[in-house]
Amino acid sequence: MENLLLEVNGIDVFYGDVQALANVSIQVEQGAIVALVGANGAGKSTLLKTIAGVKQPSRGDILFQNQPLCGRRAEQVANMGIVLVPEGRGLFANLTVLENLKLGAYPVKARAHLQESLNRAFELFPVLKERVSQKAGALSGGQQQMLAIARALMAMPDLLMLDEPSLGLSPLISKEIFELIHTLNERGTTILLVEQNVNQALKIAQNAYVMKTGSIEMQGSGLELLANPEVQEAYIGKRWSKT
Amino acid sequence: MKDMKTFYTGLVALIVLGLIVVPFSVNVERSYLIYFLFMAFIYVVIAQGWNVVGGYAGQISLGQHAFFGLGAYTTAMFWVHGLLGTGADYYFNPLLMILSGIVPAIVAIIVGIPLLSRLRGDYFALGSLGLGEIIRVFFVKGGDITGAQDGLHLPSGGYESMLPYYFVGLLLAVLATVGVYFIMRSRIGMAFRAINEDEVSASSHGINILYYKILAFAVGAFFTGVAGSLYGIYIFHVNPDSVLNINYGLYPILMCVLGGSATIFGPVIGSFFMAGVFVIAEQHFPMIHPIISGALIVLVMRFMPTGIVGLKSRLQRD
Repeated sequence: MENLLLEVNGIDVFYGDVQALANVSIQVEQGAIVALVGANGAGKSTLLKTIAGVKQPSRGDILFQNQPLCGRRAEQVANMGIVLVPEGRGLFANLTVLENLKLGAYPVKARAHLQESLNRAFELFPVLKERVSQKAGALSGGQQQMLAIARALMAMPDLLMLDEPSLGLSPLISKEIFELIHTLNERGTTILLVEQNVNQALKIAQNAYVMKTGSIEMQGSGLELLANPEVQEAYIGKRWSKT
Repeated sequence: MKDMKTFYTGLVALIVLGLIVVPFSVNVERSYLIYFLFMAFIYVVIAQGWNVVGGYAGQISLGQHAFFGLGAYTTAMFWVHGLLGTGADYYFNPLLMILSGIVPAIVAIIVGIPLLSRLRGDYFALGSLGLGEIIRVFFVKGGDITGAQDGLHLPSGGYESMLPYYFVGLLLAVLATVGVYFIMRSRIGMAFRAINEDEVSASSHGINILYYKILAFAVGAFFTGVAGSLYGIYIFHVNPDSVLNINYGLYPILMCVLGGSATIFGPVIGSFFMAGVFVIAEQHFPMIHPIISGALIVLVMRFMPTGIVGLKSRLQRD
């Protein structure tokens, strides 16, 4: 337990009167890939946004490296070492690839390493190097996702949160992205991953949580859940294939 | 890429040099051209002010006339009440002009904290419009200190020539444009543009959104206030109708959008273009000149959404 990076303890989150999360608790260990899976509207993205400080919980607490996160604004959370790649990527479409990357290194502790981070980003994503002066909005979907991840890495995060990185990508590109996530993790980045592509996500995750209508329904190792008949039925679609 | 940069730098230097020579080739005291250019310089400064807050940072302020008026009034009040000391020379006093930018900037910070932390997009625009009205009422009701509806009369005895107005105006226009260029090349400018593009994403990459929004609002207010100070020294009679006129809130938007907002030279081109339109419309269609300006806005939005500056890249593409 001593290498616990993030701990979410019993949080409730509301959008106005609508409760989006009820008593949600998760744990992320240092160096792991943790996946959050579940249907649309289960509260996965809300959980990421709450950890990132974009939303505030009304109850419960969040600890990151044993420091409380609740009440901190998004930019303070980012400065502590948590970076969210939001759903839809959140790129600065009218800024160039290079400007997007530079903005990724905005957190104070990342600024000093700007050049080495840039070199590493170009080594991981050679395609971005070819397009440094193009506008981010002019890239293809897969390249945009790579840029979003590269930009997040510029902050040298202790925890990288990815919200639906494979959304809208072709199966081939999507596979590349999952391989990339795996590589990043092997190089030491802790990753909290939200995915609709349950099959792929559970394959690479050491630990996973299944969410349903705002609460945690099941948890276990990725392979355990992948083998679980309930999970298979609900999210991988055995039952639906019959009809 | 490098060649283009040298070319543009040369072109700008040539134009500025040309503008420096102009007063020596015409009769400064009688020439309409000098007046036209002087007003265009003032427009450039306020347009660059709006360019920072509205163009780059994406916070559509409709209340820039409040800062224009505040700048002019700061100059007038210090002058009339002798606040810089009795022996001071107030005529084009650089300290006074800078102060006339700082006061609106401080007001922008104070008002910006509640306005920008609570209001977004259209709501901020309406809120800033309200700010303009509040400031106007404040000066109208200000009694002897602000001169109420009649305003303040500056001592006009020092006036000798239009020449210093022309050169101070030119200097401010150049400084404002160079200032915007350097701000936008810095981390601050990048943060402004990031906020304009996607606030949630900007904040989750460590950018303090409220801080930079207020900073953009204050920088815009500073530029506008200094322009107001120069205009105040020019008209000698600072009153609510002359300097707190909503036109000074709308013109810069028009000029930025027309020339190309969130670009360095767009506001400059827009300012000269609109100053020219005002002159022509006033001479040929004196009663309906606002209609001409209005029709022009509609046409620009329809056919040149990226402004005059954007035309170049559109033509290259076709």
